[in-house]
Amino acid sequence: MIVFEDVTKIYDPDVVGLQDFTCHIGKGEFVFLVGASGSGKSTLIKLVLKELQPDSGRILVAGRNLGTLRHRKVPLLRRNIGCVFQDFKLLPNKTVYDNVAYALEVVGEPRRSIRRKVPEILSLVGLSDKTANYPHEISGGEQQRVSVARAFVNHPPLLLADEPTGNIDPETAVGIMQLLVRINRTGTTVVVATHDRDMVNRMRRRVLQLDNGRLVRDERRGGYDQVTEVEEQEALT
Amino acid sequence: MRLGFFLSEAFGSMRRNWVMAMAAVITVFISTAILGAVLVTRDNLNQGATSLKNRVLIEVFIKDGATDEQKATLEQRIQSIPEIKSYQYISKDEALRRFRKRFGERIVQNLPINPLPASYEIQVKDANQVDGVARQFFDDPAVDNDPGTHNGVKYARETVRKMLGTINLVGIGMWIATGVFALAAVLLISTTVRLSIFARRREVEIMRLVGATNWFIRWPFVLEGFITGLIGAVVAAGFVWLCNWALANWLESSDIDFLQIRVFSMWWQSGSWPAGLLPTLAVLGAALGALGSMVALRRYLKT
Repeated sequence: MIVFEDVTKIYDPDVVGLQDFTCHIGKGEFVFLVGASGSGKSTLIKLVLKELQPDSGRILVAGRNLGTLRHRKVPLLRRNIGCVFQDFKLLPNKTVYDNVAYALEVVGEPRRSIRRKVPEILSLVGLSDKTANYPHEISGGEQQRVSVARAFVNHPPLLLADEPTGNIDPETAVGIMQLLVRINRTGTTVVVATHDRDMVNRMRRRVLQLDNGRLVRDERRGGYDQVTEVEEQEALT
Repeated sequence: MRLGFFLSEAFGSMRRNWVMAMAAVITVFISTAILGAVLVTRDNLNQGATSLKNRVLIEVFIKDGATDEQKATLEQRIQSIPEIKSYQYISKDEALRRFRKRFGERIVQNLPINPLPASYEIQVKDANQVDGVARQFFDDPAVDNDPGTHNGVKYARETVRKMLGTINLVGIGMWIATGVFALAAVLLISTTVRLSIFARRREVEIMRLVGATNWFIRWPFVLEGFITGLIGAVVAAGFVWLCNWALANWLESSDIDFLQIRVFSMWWQSGSWPAGLLPTLAVLGAALGALGSMVALRRYLKT
């Protein structure tokens, strides 16, 4: 689904975004991106969305080479990628319903099917009773669920989440993660950049750890921290 | 294109950001009103100048003793000058009739003979040519000159020259003013639009993230700019018309008659405005609003 080959992105003047980054994320995977702030997680997500251009290297998303993708085609790429952000990025002057509907309007979905799909997805995320509310009228957790609903309403093959639980309390965060897992079960590839140590440790999914733009760990069923042999021995004794 | 969706987006956003929308409408209103006022003033001055120029006559008086042959030669000469727009022969009787009308019956009654000479009243095409045309009659044998003078040919020489200078100067001044105010209007409107879009750049960013094409994002903004511009410009056009109408009324009631202000012709085809001055102004405002939105959006729509 996503292939990075020797990708380097340096911001002006010489802040490292990603350096010689290579990885392969397969279809239907659930992947955590972990690492300190500034380690390159957001850069990676922005590169996948073609919000940024890499300085060198090759990126393939769903078989398409982003380097040769025309500007005009970028919106089409983004329609196949659902996005969830730490700050929700909801349109502040649209209701919950309209926020989700907007993602469908954008792809030219007929009005009738919009009227069917939006309530469906909102009930899936448990917000059937808030459809007429504006984002500022609901809680952070609820806003994030709207954001997830918007990301998934098109049933994209890929869903990216940048610190989806960063701004909400731990219990609500669990709900959001469960939602992402359910989405993953429908076959959608899910990539979650996160700081949430407990969450990563509990879920034991594939973990990619970044440090200063480099991939330092790629573990099949990893935890948040790299467990060194010494630590393991200490744990045993 | 989903016009319904885009229109509802545009109107919705204008309702929500009504303060900004009002500011934009007022900006368009002020700048178009000023521009319109300048244009209308220019048109009216041109009109006044033209009517003044048209009153510049050359009068060529004919000797009572001129032979028919001499008179015929004079008329042929008038016909042969291309700069002359029209001419009229005023016979001695016609001259007397006019005189009578102007000064009353009593004076004329006591005259034993008709002392008034016959004449040609000549209008030239361009007031600037008055002098040159008049000169051609100075030495004509049929002209009623006192010996050694050219007083058989009468025209307001100095007056014409001064007047023409003034009119030309005013004309140039008005063109410059038009240019300056048009530029000011464009800058003001585009700044306002840019401000209102800057306030909503996050919105644009989100639209792009969910995969909206540039035109999908652009249309509501362009429509919004169009509507804003249209409202502002239509109100401004009405305002300009009202002012002009009030001024024309006032001038009519006072006795200043050399400036003839045009009132009704501004709505439709007239002179240099094929579609009418005010409709042009309205369309201009709307187009400016739409274009302003498009230009202001450009920097946020780079992928």
